Amino acid sequence: METFSPSLSLQEKLTILADAAKYDVACTSSGADRRGEKGKLGNGVAAGICHSFASDGRCVSLLKILQSNECIYDCKYCLNRSSNDRVRTTFTPEEVCRLVIEFYRRNYIEGLFLSSGVVKSPSYTMELMCRTLSMLRNQYHFNGYIHVKAIPGAPEELLETLGYLADRVSINLELPTPEGLKDLAPHKTQKTILKPMEQIRSGIADHRLSIGKDPMMERFGGNRNLKHTIFDDVRSGRIEEHRQLASNSFLPPAKDKPAPFVPAGQSTQMIVGATAENDLQLLSVTQQLYQKFDLKRVFFSAYVPLNEDSRLPSLDTAPPLLREHRLYQADWLLRFYGFHAEELLSTDRPNFNIMLDPKCDWALRHLELFPVEINRAGYAELLRVPGIGTKSAYRIVKSRRQRSLTFENLKKIGVVLKRAKYFITCNGKMMFHIPIEENFITRQLIGEDYKKSWEIDHPQTYEQLSLFDDQNFSSSPSAEDTCKSLSGQI
Amino acid sequence: MIIFTCKDTFEDMMSCIYTAWASRLGHKNIRLKTEPIGNLELFCDYRHVDHDPNQTASVIRSIQKKISFRAYQMVYRAAMSFQEEKLDIIYRFLIYGFHYGPSVVNMLQEPAVMNLFELDRKVLNEAHLFREFLRFSEIDHVLISHIEPKCDVLTILAPQFTDRMPSENWMIIDDNRWTAVVHPCDQDYYMTTLSEDELNRLKTSEISDIYTDLWKVFFETIGVEARKNPRCQRTMMPLWYRKHMTEFL
Repeated sequence: METFSPSLSLQEKLTILADAAKYDVACTSSGADRRGEKGKLGNGVAAGICHSFASDGRCVSLLKILQSNECIYDCKYCLNRSSNDRVRTTFTPEEVCRLVIEFYRRNYIEGLFLSSGVVKSPSYTMELMCRTLSMLRNQYHFNGYIHVKAIPGAPEELLETLGYLADRVSINLELPTPEGLKDLAPHKTQKTILKPMEQIRSGIADHRLSIGKDPMMERFGGNRNLKHTIFDDVRSGRIEEHRQLASNSFLPPAKDKPAPFVPAGQSTQMIVGATAENDLQLLSVTQQLYQKFDLKRVFFSAYVPLNEDSRLPSLDTAPPLLREHRLYQADWLLRFYGFHAEELLSTDRPNFNIMLDPKCDWALRHLELFPVEINRAGYAELLRVPGIGTKSAYRIVKSRRQRSLTFENLKKIGVVLKRAKYFITCNGKMMFHIPIEENFITRQLIGEDYKKSWEIDHPQTYEQLSLFDDQNFSSSPSAEDTCKSLSGQI
Repeated sequence: MIIFTCKDTFEDMMSCIYTAWASRLGHKNIRLKTEPIGNLELFCDYRHVDHDPNQTASVIRSIQKKISFRAYQMVYRAAMSFQEEKLDIIYRFLIYGFHYGPSVVNMLQEPAVMNLFELDRKVLNEAHLFREFLRFSEIDHVLISHIEPKCDVLTILAPQFTDRMPSENWMIIDDNRWTAVVHPCDQDYYMTTLSEDELNRLKTSEISDIYTDLWKVFFETIGVEARKNPRCQRTMMPLWYRKHMTEFL
């Protein structure tokens, strides 16, 4: 039974439609750099700005709401599926616009994240969303960030209109395999999801070519120092492959620049832990999405059980937060560190090590490449050392030109020596006398990281006090300890 | 040991650096400090330096020309820090800077450079947090915000918010320093100091209206109960910054 009461107050509507939208992960406002204009409200900041952090520690950057929580579909995992008995309501375009403008002026938000349940039909819903965005941009002169979810199955024209109004468009892939999708989201098929994704990709490429840029989106600047990233594999040969150029792309240059089409790129989201897919499948699909559809981001959402269904995990399953965390770590390795999915996981080991982060795990399996000499190794080599990130690698490369670096300097520069010390030398010396031996280093690293991993998976719980050091919290051995252990004193 | 002291403004600090440098006493034998001076040290000679526009301009010009504009930005931001030692850190950095030129900003293994780098980073980080977390409340079509930053971040925030809201009347008030940025609709912003009277009148400006209530409702709704993680929330948004935030009032 659906209850529909048109007399809900704005506050009640907001509660219902924000509550229904909160399981969408993406709340980033990054990717669009746009100066403010007189007479308009807002600008775009490339790095994105978080304006608050919710009680679950996730950033609140955008006003994340649904246009409507009415839905004709019955996806098993979804709170708003048609078989659930919930209060249904719909925002009018004016209500959304007023909320966005007033929240934005008070510096609560960076923009709007608009998603929706499917009211009546995909086209009807998309048209309603288009009306909202068009009103926000043209009548309310909003110049801030807009992230909109496209509804699979809507006509191409509507999607194109949406693309010119929004900064980022995303379509949720939901599940990495067609089988999983068939099982849990019977009204969606991978084809209907990938088709609009391809349309947006080619729209973005059209626009980028028409303003004289490379058809692929810009990636992290440091990537140009890396030889073989996942983005390089596809870059060559993309232009020839690009068949359908929009006819207006080759008109003589107009006075104004052509209107940007989805300037912040598109993103997608996959559910982790609802079906039996392993990490390798998830990560390979992620990599393919980056390569084939030029996505800006792929988000993972740990499955939070909301509905009871025989095909879903039971209601008391804890969300697999640590697994989600590992997938995000790996996603960063793909986009910023030049790793490939095949390097991190293989068919014999299809899941991430729960104890170690993916980079440490990789390094331990490739000890032949270590230790790396800090004062001589290239940027790409430095990036592969656990404990060194893009910023510290850049600082190392820049500062060692003048004088060689010591461990003391590295610490100040921002290298996490706790992890890096097993893998690096400074001027030919390691920090301590450490054997480069897989078992020893694994033990050390797990001891140091165990507490953190445990906390990610159990954010609210407490552990039983114990007299014994069952989590291996003990501090790392000093140089003397290592000497003693080698000479057999302990 | 001679200690040069000056008021805690950027212009005064630049004049102080000029005077200290021109004193030719040897870098080892002098120190620079901003006022107020707390405990006086033994065997030290304190010399107060007043602001001189020519000296200030000359120091700024030399930093930009002989080192780089980036170094100037770093020095400026470091001067906004709340740390007592900042002026001396800037001075030690400039000694290296005038010797090595533009490449000095990358020489992070030099303690003198690293100290400045850390000051700069602290100020930038704090300014960024206030860019995220400051909240306006609306009174008579004017948006007013109160902040209590440790570092003097107003000059960094002002251009950012001007770009964000060019056609709004807004002001950001630093409650600790009694200064404010005022931005009238469609005009340039300006900085001003507030009298005690004005400050008291503006104190009560954190009022609630329908949108503050809506925001609180939204903020409470948007967290996922199954993922609740107050520690992560505190890491990302320290309690210290929550003083004037609408959702915690």
